[in-house]
Amino acid sequence: MENEISNSTPNTLPSDRIKLNVGGKLFETTISTLQSGGPDSLLSTLSTRPGHDPIFVDRDPEIFSVLLSLLRSNRLPSTACSFSKQELADEALFYGMDSHLRYAVSPPPLSGIDASIVSTIFPASDGLVSSFTAAADDGSVCIAHGGQISFYDHNLTHLSTVRTHLEDITSIRHVWPDVAAAGSESAAGIHFYNFSSARYIESIHWTDSTDPRIYKARVSSIADSSSQIFASFECPHRENCILSIDKSTLQISSEITRQSGSATKNMVPGKLTWLPETGAIIGSVVTCGAFGYSGYIRMWDPRNGEVVWETSEPGSGRSSRFGDSFADVDVDAGGLTLFKVCSKSGDLAVADLRRLGDDPWVYINEKNPSMRFIGGASNCVLHCYKSQVFVGREGSLEVWSTENNGDGEGLYRRNFVDKEEDSKRGVIRKIEGGGDRLFVSRENVEGIEVWESSYFSDAILV
Amino acid sequence: MPTFTTTTIMSSQSNNLNIHRLKINPNTQSNIVTINVGGQIFQTTDQTLTLAGPKSLFSQLSEISPLGPHFIDRDPDLFSILLSLLRTGNLPSKAKSYDLQDLIEESKFYRIESLLVDSLSNPSQFDPFNLQKTLILPLNSRDTASAITATPHGALHVSHGSKITSFDWSLQNKSTTLTQFSAIDSMLAISPILVAVGATDFSGLQILDLEKKGLVLETLNWENVTKSGSTVQAIGSSNDFLFTSFESSRRNSNSILVYDLKTLSPVTEIAHYEIFGADLDSAIPATKLKWVESYNVLMASGSHSGPSGVLGNVKFWDIRSGCVVWEFKEKVDCFSDITVSDNLSSIFKVGVNSGEVFYADLRKLASEGNDSWVCLGDERKMGNVRKEGVGCKIEAHGNQVFCSKGGDIELWSEVVMDSSKKRDEGLPERVFRKNLMGRVKDMVGSRVTNLAFGGNKMFVTWKDQQSVEVWQSSVRGF
Repeated sequence: MENEISNSTPNTLPSDRIKLNVGGKLFETTISTLQSGGPDSLLSTLSTRPGHDPIFVDRDPEIFSVLLSLLRSNRLPSTACSFSKQELADEALFYGMDSHLRYAVSPPPLSGIDASIVSTIFPASDGLVSSFTAAADDGSVCIAHGGQISFYDHNLTHLSTVRTHLEDITSIRHVWPDVAAAGSESAAGIHFYNFSSARYIESIHWTDSTDPRIYKARVSSIADSSSQIFASFECPHRENCILSIDKSTLQISSEITRQSGSATKNMVPGKLTWLPETGAIIGSVVTCGAFGYSGYIRMWDPRNGEVVWETSEPGSGRSSRFGDSFADVDVDAGGLTLFKVCSKSGDLAVADLRRLGDDPWVYINEKNPSMRFIGGASNCVLHCYKSQVFVGREGSLEVWSTENNGDGEGLYRRNFVDKEEDSKRGVIRKIEGGGDRLFVSRENVEGIEVWESSYFSDAILV
Repeated sequence: MPTFTTTTIMSSQSNNLNIHRLKINPNTQSNIVTINVGGQIFQTTDQTLTLAGPKSLFSQLSEISPLGPHFIDRDPDLFSILLSLLRTGNLPSKAKSYDLQDLIEESKFYRIESLLVDSLSNPSQFDPFNLQKTLILPLNSRDTASAITATPHGALHVSHGSKITSFDWSLQNKSTTLTQFSAIDSMLAISPILVAVGATDFSGLQILDLEKKGLVLETLNWENVTKSGSTVQAIGSSNDFLFTSFESSRRNSNSILVYDLKTLSPVTEIAHYEIFGADLDSAIPATKLKWVESYNVLMASGSHSGPSGVLGNVKFWDIRSGCVVWEFKEKVDCFSDITVSDNLSSIFKVGVNSGEVFYADLRKLASEGNDSWVCLGDERKMGNVRKEGVGCKIEAHGNQVFCSKGGDIELWSEVVMDSSKKRDEGLPERVFRKNLMGRVKDMVGSRVTNLAFGGNKMFVTWKDQQSVEVWQSSVRGF
């Protein structure tokens, strides 16, 4: 805003001004406004053109006036509503100011205490979503449904769908801008598909010629760092490992761990998370048996494959909550904290990754009696995103967030994200954040829900 | 997106008048200012531009000596609307075809937002007889509104659960912040971004900056004798002071503290009571604080429900001397809610037993004491045991009193009858009449939980509803 004012101080010299004739309509603006679209944009190239005659651009003047308003005031005017998102994006691409537009149309920072459901993405066919992955930076999402992968861009516009050879895809990861890695519980190997060109790229299998037990290894979870892809594989006889795959060559670079799978504590990790700060990979698994939940959380160093830290639940009597093992675990990569939700009490616990020990868990209490969780939790899903912890319990979606007490170390408080009626839509299966959006999929419900925060009051006219 | 229905004949008329004036007065030719906004040429006068105030971008325009037309790199269509606003003080009817948010952002650029606020959300436009339910502001999450407070120009803060959602004056934008409270019981808007917040289960009054994500600017505590915490029972304010009624966590002492509204430093302490023995009356902390500007007194009221029924007291404090100017005890049909109207020089209550509205003339208090209450309904219900008035809210705004009873909102106004006749015999008998607000289809809730007023609007929250209703009268321009 500050430079905007200086741009347009009334005594702007006439030499700074520029006249444009867009599709027959005259516009007058300043060179600095045009250049704010970015150094490579068409508009800033135009602005350096000599002469005083209006420069003719053969495009639609109405859309141009919207984009000019965006350059002038850094916000989209309401007249933008009369154009489709795609139209605006195409036109912005023509003028070379697509990043400017993308910034203006993206939702405000996600705040769980003030989010509402804005849309539901329904794939055209096979609407039941088996898995999905959201890109953390721009809020685009890759949905696996019925053996197909559909990609939705940052506007949540459907871009492409690719049919894979898999019958169903149970784990998917967006590993490059155009490439998704997919794994299935019914077919062996990890498979790479380019969804923009709808092309199969490569499959990677876990093989060991010296060990006959290793065959038909299926992928149960996929994570990735900037250079590596980590996928956990499991054979029909429960032999399992995590493979590290080099992104540039698509070759297996190392086998991080090999486990027999004979007991809970060496089962295949069902959830893998890469921690960029420490360079470690965290895997967790939880199973529900006759004696309740059991599982482990383990942290490996992928460089030497060694276990850095691990905890099993129900472990020994060391745990202060013996018998109340976790139902789901997630890592807040930014804050270097580990969160778990307990299966029996439904409590949330936090552990500092820098100070892990035998029993690192700190159980978070909600002081508000009306918000205290009562009753057992059977279906809990946990996801950490943007320093907030989103928990799905059965159908209800809640968020734990910290209040601002000045030094950034406030108390965690529990609040519902959804309304009572939202929770009746079905059991939450997966929660994932991407951009400033939260994506939620529910069991046996078609499509995925998109939750966003908004600066607008969305007042309803009576 | 809200649209405002209104009659626009008026604004176009005043436009015509203005043009007329220009034609009559040819001297204005000399100070014509030509501005080029985004390629379109506008002509106006120095005088018009100075109406925008010294802080605005236009004030720079009129100061600079003209070297050809001034160029402003903004949208010309929006500028033409704002220029009309400058010329007439009202938005032209064609503003309706624009989005209000665009106009607000544009007026912020020219730094004339206050003009837009004055034309769209001016307290003087408040028309109690013409209030209609126009908007519903939804609140995210599952909590219902516990307290609401509005600024004079209609910015609104709503507390729900541990969160505060604030809406700007146009009710177009909102932001939500998380607080340290588990639930907020009393809240007062100091400015569109500052709120004073307290709860009966939380020690201290917090001043929150809602623009900085709810940063606690100050925590004000009352240092009581028992060295226990101090919970907030009520918050009130005058133009200069902030009043807070504290009760010690052990509930054996209470006090009203007066703070300077600008500096938030304590000014004085009034109404300090320690409880000794079984003196029930001294144990009642004030749960409502209302400043009476024309009498320079603070009304503090509190009530207590005991085995012998509801007891209460109403006290008027002179904050300079710290003395009670007038007080009366409520033994029969104590107030369920009470308020004071400066414009009507009266206090109004809803009786907890009768559920009827009473008034007491502030000018007659001294002579009659406890008998000052005049029942505005069925007096026989005073001895009721049914407690019909529980949960009723009463608030005064302007020349009216708004009282909620269950799912209804009553509007009480004074009918001035030939007052000249009885003037020499003292004050005349006053006539108050009520109306039910809204249409039948509007009143869908079970019970009104909060009433607040700001700008030309009334805000209402209902039990079990996660939203705030906005009642307003039509506005010119939008």
